[in-house]
Amino acid sequence: MANKQCKCVLVGDFTMDTFAGCLNNDKDYPTVESIITPFDQVIQMLTNEKLGCWTDKPDFAVIWTQPERINQAFNRILNYEKVSLSQVLEEVDEYASLLRSVRDRVNTVIVPTWVLPSYQRGFGMLDMRSEIGISNTLMRMNLRLCERLADIPNVYLLDTQRWIGEVGKKAFNPKLWYMGKIAFGNEVFKEAVKDVKSAYRGINGSSKKLIILDLDNTLWGGIVGDIGWENIRLGGHDYIGEAYVDFQKTLKSLTNRGILLGIVSKNEEVIALEAIRKHPEMVLRLDDFAGYRINWQDKAENIVDLVADLKIGLQSVVFIDDNPVERARVRDALNTVFVPEWPRDQMLYKSALLSLRCFDTPSITQEDAQRTKMYVTERQRKDLKDTCISTNEWLKSLGMKVQVEPISPINLERTVQLFNKTNQMNLTTRRMTKLEMANWVSQKNHKLWNFRVSDRFGDLGITGIISLEIEGKNGRIVDFILSCRVMGRKIEETMLYIVIKYARSIRLKELHARYVPTSKNKPCLDFWMSSGFSYEEQNNSFSWNLFNEYTLPDCLEIVNEEDRLY
Amino acid sequence: MKVNKVKRAKIIELVYASIETINGQRSQDYWLELTEEVCLRGKKSRLDSLGLVTLIVDVEERLAIQFGVEICLTDEEAMSEEKNHFANVKSLVDYICLVLEGKQNGQ
Repeated sequence: MANKQCKCVLVGDFTMDTFAGCLNNDKDYPTVESIITPFDQVIQMLTNEKLGCWTDKPDFAVIWTQPERINQAFNRILNYEKVSLSQVLEEVDEYASLLRSVRDRVNTVIVPTWVLPSYQRGFGMLDMRSEIGISNTLMRMNLRLCERLADIPNVYLLDTQRWIGEVGKKAFNPKLWYMGKIAFGNEVFKEAVKDVKSAYRGINGSSKKLIILDLDNTLWGGIVGDIGWENIRLGGHDYIGEAYVDFQKTLKSLTNRGILLGIVSKNEEVIALEAIRKHPEMVLRLDDFAGYRINWQDKAENIVDLVADLKIGLQSVVFIDDNPVERARVRDALNTVFVPEWPRDQMLYKSALLSLRCFDTPSITQEDAQRTKMYVTERQRKDLKDTCISTNEWLKSLGMKVQVEPISPINLERTVQLFNKTNQMNLTTRRMTKLEMANWVSQKNHKLWNFRVSDRFGDLGITGIISLEIEGKNGRIVDFILSCRVMGRKIEETMLYIVIKYARSIRLKELHARYVPTSKNKPCLDFWMSSGFSYEEQNNSFSWNLFNEYTLPDCLEIVNEEDRLY
Repeated sequence: MKVNKVKRAKIIELVYASIETINGQRSQDYWLELTEEVCLRGKKSRLDSLGLVTLIVDVEERLAIQFGVEICLTDEEAMSEEKNHFANVKSLVDYICLVLEGKQNGQ
């Protein structure tokens, strides 16, 4: 992945230099250049939008405070003074409104939650009691902050307590505070860097989408081809069998977040599939897998083949295999595939999977939860295609319905997700946050439509986006984005039909589109070259004389077109 | 009892590990070399006062884990610019050995 350097503003009530150093030196994508704001100037930094750190267009900001320094009422509680909870929460609200004001200055704001050093025992056995306990109050403060910031799409709270837990005793050292005003140990900052970067990758659509799994000794214990499905280690009164079941359950839970599963295994397909179908303790069945390649060929080749079939980029893939030789082979052959080191001990499989920081996404949509089902139905569609004579006959047999929707609060989340994740059928590969998109479409001369596609096998959800900028008597197609799930199903032509119909209705003369090449969007150029638009090679641009209509493909039906267009 | 050569070598390795940690927090232009002569304090040092504090605290933590002894390298005696125990890695290691010997002798 091209390692674009990001600018990050660090605001805190402790010395941020150590954190900045860890952030700047970490080699994982994205590389970061930190801008450290003066020590303990949080309020000044948040209230003054004209400061250089904000006007320099940073990509994101981390605003990290300590509860006893940002909240005076809480500081008094630490001195065992009697302070009402409402006073503490009032100060939390004030702080939340300050954070709210930062949201327009940067694309993303990251706020680590408040923690206290582990040596702070508070009231001991009374510490979790309401209206008394310090820990109880701190939990309420964090919760209140989450609630107050929940409606701001580009502000994310990260759980500091998890970093503290990972690091243990070295998380706090009073000497660092007294001598350097450093609030945490070095390892806490390293953990924070990993989570901050993971969040950034998720927001920018770089999270992983597909886990490709080996079978023998990965999903179950033993070699199924040697011992038969009845004798593999899976479930039962067996601690190893139980660990495999738990690992499968964890994988299945990830599918509810929209992560796809696939199989690449060296096995006899019939034997392996029999185990998946028949073993009573298999948690993952065939319908849980978007696709599989079970044969004796090279695994790297099989991964390439499967990924092409699923229309997912190799950079979105995680490969899990118990065999270090296979892992090394895939790493060597496919350097964009993420191949985590895998524990030898099966009882650590689940924790190894849960600790991967590559699945973070800024939101979970309805489509995410349905994604595996969509791929399984896609398999069924393909089976149907094999029985049809021509592509058009196949497309007609699908009974496709396309619903055109303007952008709205209901579909904004999914639109932004599709916008930032799509690489192949993407005219300009522009990226926007939720806030930026809401701002862009709010301009009078901008239009953006979503395309929801369904067929007789099911609802494919929002799969297409087209946007238009009106400049005098001409229109410019700014974004032309289509999910690879429906590429080649004439949705491309339907999107052009809609935008041309609209442009004609408001009496524009000409429509333009400029293709911005990337390493991945050649399929988009291929489509546009065959779209009927005139092509000007010098500028990579396409144009359409709006005197002419554009033909709607006859293999699908547009529902509610007229009332949705304007 | 004097700290033997093997133990001294282990302490040097430990200080180098701390330097590597500190390097990880700093721009490459300011990285410290892993040599006994590298300056930790003074005009020739690439470390600022914050870097020195972080380094010394890290060394303390590692000594506690590796040798099971709580050694204070941040008291006034240790930090004294006059005595300059932190002039370079060699003087730091000498000072650690001195404190360890004192501990072993029950001082």
